[in-house]
Amino acid sequence: MADNLSHYLDNFKASLEVDSAVKESVAKELHTHLEDKSQELKEKGLSEEEADKAAIQALGSTKLIAQQICEVHSQGSWQEAFFAASPHLLLAFFFVSYYWQNIPCLSIILTATVGIAIYGWHRDKPIWLFPWLGYYLLPVIVAGILLISLPQGWTWLGALIYIPLALFVLVYIVKQTANRDWLYVSLMFAPLPVIFSWLSTLSPKNGFLSGNLPLVQLQLNAPLVGISFLALAIATVIFVRVKHRWYKAIALLVPPTVILASVALVGRENIGFWGWLVLFLSLLAFTSPALRSSQQLAVSRKLKTES
Amino acid sequence: MNYGRELLKGNTDSLLLYLINWQSTYGYQIIKELEQRSNGYFQFKEGTLYPALHRLEKGKLIKGKWQMLSNGQQRRYYHITKKGQQVLAKKLATWQDFSTAIKAIIQPEAT
Repeated sequence: MADNLSHYLDNFKASLEVDSAVKESVAKELHTHLEDKSQELKEKGLSEEEADKAAIQALGSTKLIAQQICEVHSQGSWQEAFFAASPHLLLAFFFVSYYWQNIPCLSIILTATVGIAIYGWHRDKPIWLFPWLGYYLLPVIVAGILLISLPQGWTWLGALIYIPLALFVLVYIVKQTANRDWLYVSLMFAPLPVIFSWLSTLSPKNGFLSGNLPLVQLQLNAPLVGISFLALAIATVIFVRVKHRWYKAIALLVPPTVILASVALVGRENIGFWGWLVLFLSLLAFTSPALRSSQQLAVSRKLKTES
Repeated sequence: MNYGRELLKGNTDSLLLYLINWQSTYGYQIIKELEQRSNGYFQFKEGTLYPALHRLEKGKLIKGKWQMLSNGQQRRYYHITKKGQQVLAKKLATWQDFSTAIKAIIQPEAT
């Protein structure tokens, strides 16, 4: 393949944020189109370089085609939307029905979550995978935080073995997800601010890092916790169903941020320094990928207007 | 605003469905066919074709399938689905009614 065509297709693939199977298929389709067009122009007397350039020009901006293809593929079906919202709905149900303290039930759900996340990960990472992946990662993050409260002598062992391993898993999954789409990193981390905001209000001063969670308090708040997860489920459905990236970002960012702000405002007296720090970090981890993605979109729109 | 371009934009789906219904075809051939059949009137912007084809495929109106040609080259051929045929029939009927109504206004003696 001529350098010009190869460079054009590389640029196209870099701008296309869809799953890898679709990306390869569309790139291959454009490749055959460019070859056909170039061949036709060569038969009309153009040199290879001129023909390739003209074929590329006729096809147009890679960013624009990639954006339009993304819009087509970014809208999930109702089934995908429902399946993506399912882990939030399950959690909402558990809190509203007070099943959340039922250990066998939680174990089954946890195992199913791990199974579904692994299945989706190896099935070309469909859109519904990412909320499940968030819950799959949650035990890794929480266990990492709880290591801080281990008795002295054990903490260093945890730090040496667990934290690097957990960080490796976390960074690997985030990197792979971001390769697909930065917005999906936010979709994956959406439960973080909600879960941590409720946990942070549980125990006085030291928050959930004290290691002694007053679960009675959580029991009292269970209906409200359930409603929070229901809001997250609705946000996820909207995220999957809307086409435009701006609307996706807004639908995703607003509910968890509002929940975190409301819960933190009401329970602020119970939140200690570490609680505020974890809340801040969870909000940062959740919002920054979506904001980064929106920034990229703004730059791409500016380029489109300029061209 | 280019009125002809706007008209083409509004009827892209019908034209694509019609050509794919006529025979299973691939992207580049569609561009050529549109140009040829309209005597060069329809200059389809090549880059907008593939998002349109993918939109129709996502709506299950057409189905794309990679096919190996005798020269070893692969092409993605699009075939119309039953749902696509039904949608096309409705769009054509609407277009015929619209066209008749327009003609009745601008060429009253011809109707």
